[in-house]
Amino acid sequence: MVKKTIEDIKNTLKNVDVSETSYVERGYHLAIEAQKENVAAIAEFFDKKGFYLADLCCVDYVDYLELVYFFNNHRELCRVKVAFKVEPEKPAAPTISHIYTIAHWYEREIHEFFGVYFEGHPHLVYLFLHDGIDCYPLRRNKVPVTEDDKKLLNSFKPEEYEDGFFVNLGPQHPSTHGVLRVVVDMDGEYIMSAEPVLGYLHRMHEKMAENRSYLQFLPNPPRMDYLGALNFNLGHVTAVEKLCNIEVPERAQYIRTITAELNRISSHLLWVGAFVADLGGLTPFLYTFDDRENILDILEGITGSRLTYCYFRFGGLYNDVDDTFIDATKQFIKRLRGRFGMYEQLVTKNVIFINRVKGIGVLEPGRTPKYGCSGPVIRSTGIPFDIRKVEPYAAYDKVGFDIPVGTSGDNMDRYMIRIREMEISLNIIEEAVAKLPSGPFKAEKVPKKLKPPKGDVYHTIESPRGELGVYIVSDESDTPYRMRWRVPSYSNLMTFPYIAKGTLIADAIATLGSYDLVIPEIDR
Amino acid sequence: MCELTNIINIIGKETVRAIIGLIGVLIIVVGNALVLTWVERKISGHIQRRIGPKEVGPFGLIQPIADSLKLLGKELITPTNVERPLYYLAPTLIFIPVLVSFIVIPFDSYLQVKDINVGILVILAFSSLSVLSILLAGWGSNNKYSLIGALRSVAQNIAYEIPLLLSILPVIFMTNSLSLKDIVEVQREGWFIWKWQFFAFLIYFIAGVAETNRTPFDLPEAESELVAGFHTEYSGMRFALFFLAEYTNIMIISAIATVFFLGGYLGPFFPGIVWFFIKTYFLVFVIMWFRWTFPRVRFDQLLNFSWKILIPVAFMNLIVTGGLLKL
Repeated sequence: MVKKTIEDIKNTLKNVDVSETSYVERGYHLAIEAQKENVAAIAEFFDKKGFYLADLCCVDYVDYLELVYFFNNHRELCRVKVAFKVEPEKPAAPTISHIYTIAHWYEREIHEFFGVYFEGHPHLVYLFLHDGIDCYPLRRNKVPVTEDDKKLLNSFKPEEYEDGFFVNLGPQHPSTHGVLRVVVDMDGEYIMSAEPVLGYLHRMHEKMAENRSYLQFLPNPPRMDYLGALNFNLGHVTAVEKLCNIEVPERAQYIRTITAELNRISSHLLWVGAFVADLGGLTPFLYTFDDRENILDILEGITGSRLTYCYFRFGGLYNDVDDTFIDATKQFIKRLRGRFGMYEQLVTKNVIFINRVKGIGVLEPGRTPKYGCSGPVIRSTGIPFDIRKVEPYAAYDKVGFDIPVGTSGDNMDRYMIRIREMEISLNIIEEAVAKLPSGPFKAEKVPKKLKPPKGDVYHTIESPRGELGVYIVSDESDTPYRMRWRVPSYSNLMTFPYIAKGTLIADAIATLGSYDLVIPEIDR
Repeated sequence: MCELTNIINIIGKETVRAIIGLIGVLIIVVGNALVLTWVERKISGHIQRRIGPKEVGPFGLIQPIADSLKLLGKELITPTNVERPLYYLAPTLIFIPVLVSFIVIPFDSYLQVKDINVGILVILAFSSLSVLSILLAGWGSNNKYSLIGALRSVAQNIAYEIPLLLSILPVIFMTNSLSLKDIVEVQREGWFIWKWQFFAFLIYFIAGVAETNRTPFDLPEAESELVAGFHTEYSGMRFALFFLAEYTNIMIISAIATVFFLGGYLGPFFPGIVWFFIKTYFLVFVIMWFRWTFPRVRFDQLLNFSWKILIPVAFMNLIVTGGLLKL
């Protein structure tokens, strides 16, 4: 199937430099060398083909800047890397934001971090950073921000707009679990436009990665997504393993699957509670925390921490699991299965709840490629896109599971999918525990100081919120030359302005809750 | 003793009665709020598999007093740019209707500050005033959340006052009296909740929950949408007055339900006042139970529910009752 698509792309893009790459080594099927003139045309071509923009990032090679676009397909895995070079002096590139909506944010991000000016972008203002930053932070050389650019970056000032009733949802607001700020233009109770403002928890993890060795960066990813910490840990570790060609023993793969799924359940449990709390029902929050507490206890026993786990190591695990862990996990599976009935009675069948979520926040499947959304948000629209299935990592190819999909893409579907996913995760854990092989739990001969070969690698995993992508560029030194994180909440949140337009504020808040946003992950 | 009688004679028996009654009402209002805060926290605690307050005093019983002392000691913050007169007036104003309502409620056959022959009208008329103070609070705070909360509150109160009134009218038809004491006395033959007015009770109770701005109808202070709604900008004792008024309103709504549908102070074995409080606090418990179980309805759903379901049903009930009485 993928072969056919690749041939198709090759045949159509005749006058472009297309080369096939080893998917197993690199993580993408095709690499395309684009020029400044034809990059918009290529993006348009992929848009017509139904591809989504998985990621857009920039790498500073000092002599030139390279813009890297990753396109992928929701129906089958076919990842394409499109790269083109920009001169470092007054860098400029054509925008693709009119083709892919999500590019609005990616381009703003690159603009503030690298100083690349995107011609035709309507709104090149600060996304993560704030006034007072004098140099482009991710540039290798010190490149000062020009006065003109500062003026452009600072031009978003909703507080100075005269007409309109602006309400700030956040950064300190009970509905935005964290420090997200949404500037809402309201007409009575209706929302005319919504503009998320990010960056209140920006910690520059990508720059941090460039300053420390692969091993030293291990504790950072779990702190990006504090609810799905093990999944981010896993994403980082597996990406580096792919880059360095490290074989992981089978037992470690199974344990990774079990712990990552436990973490997924704990994340979904918290979401269920927080979502119903957004709708005004405060009690389920406490009930889900009660269940979640069990997972935290189980994981504390083997990882030593309760929230921001750093359990996986390159080539294996920090330590092996024991019988206590296995017993506790089995006990927990039994317990949680008994609790689903209660959640159904308390939440799912509640008339008020149903009326609040059914048919609200509808996302059409046809629009998903524009935003590159993933995880439960895209599965609610009926597209069975799950990285665990299409691009199995750890031991997901050795356990059987199906992917729940919704039908209408509304908040109810997103809720039901997460509930179903918890049940499926329990099945995965049960099967993995039964199949757990004996043997070593970490690979031998993994050097303390990793010096991966020159090149780049793209690796994705399915975090509780969706597709997490890690793009690492290595220059043979012991620190990554560039480490780029493609985070799921970021692209999911991009659909919010579209969905929220014209809805009641209460519905918009329900929709915002249904995304399962983790702000530190978006802000990185 | 002789001197006391003299003083009473000088200032008049009615005045003394009014003063004592007012003091009694104040004690009930404050005491009720103290008890209800404790009860609410305990109930929410147990519904949510927690313990609730337990450190201050036995079973945390002193907790509400500690809380109110804390609120008393807090600095009264007045944000800049507020409409000062309105901002100061609102918390005081919300408290007056609450006090007046208690004057006509019969706690027992002999325990009533004043038996006015238009008792229920007094309560309904004064309770409509509370929406005015909410509007003042929302407008005066100069805060967008407060303003939206206040506007919601007005729309909600207008929508739910009609079914509230319509649901107690059949009872007034059946008793031919507006005096609360008469209404209770008529129920010696049977409580109105069982004598044909079950639907009226349901409508009254739903509308009452909406009138007190409690979950699932707590839109004026919808936490996840409007932070704290109309009292976002209030702190310290001013906030406490809103808080006090909310709990007293719950009590009043439950007390009227008790008087109109549950036979007021009537009941075997115990003295009337005990029965009155048992019934009232049972209804209060149900309202609290709602809060910790249901999510919040949406604003348009709330209004639709009142205008399209509650009001027609209440009217039907009224017509049927009137027709049957005429036959």
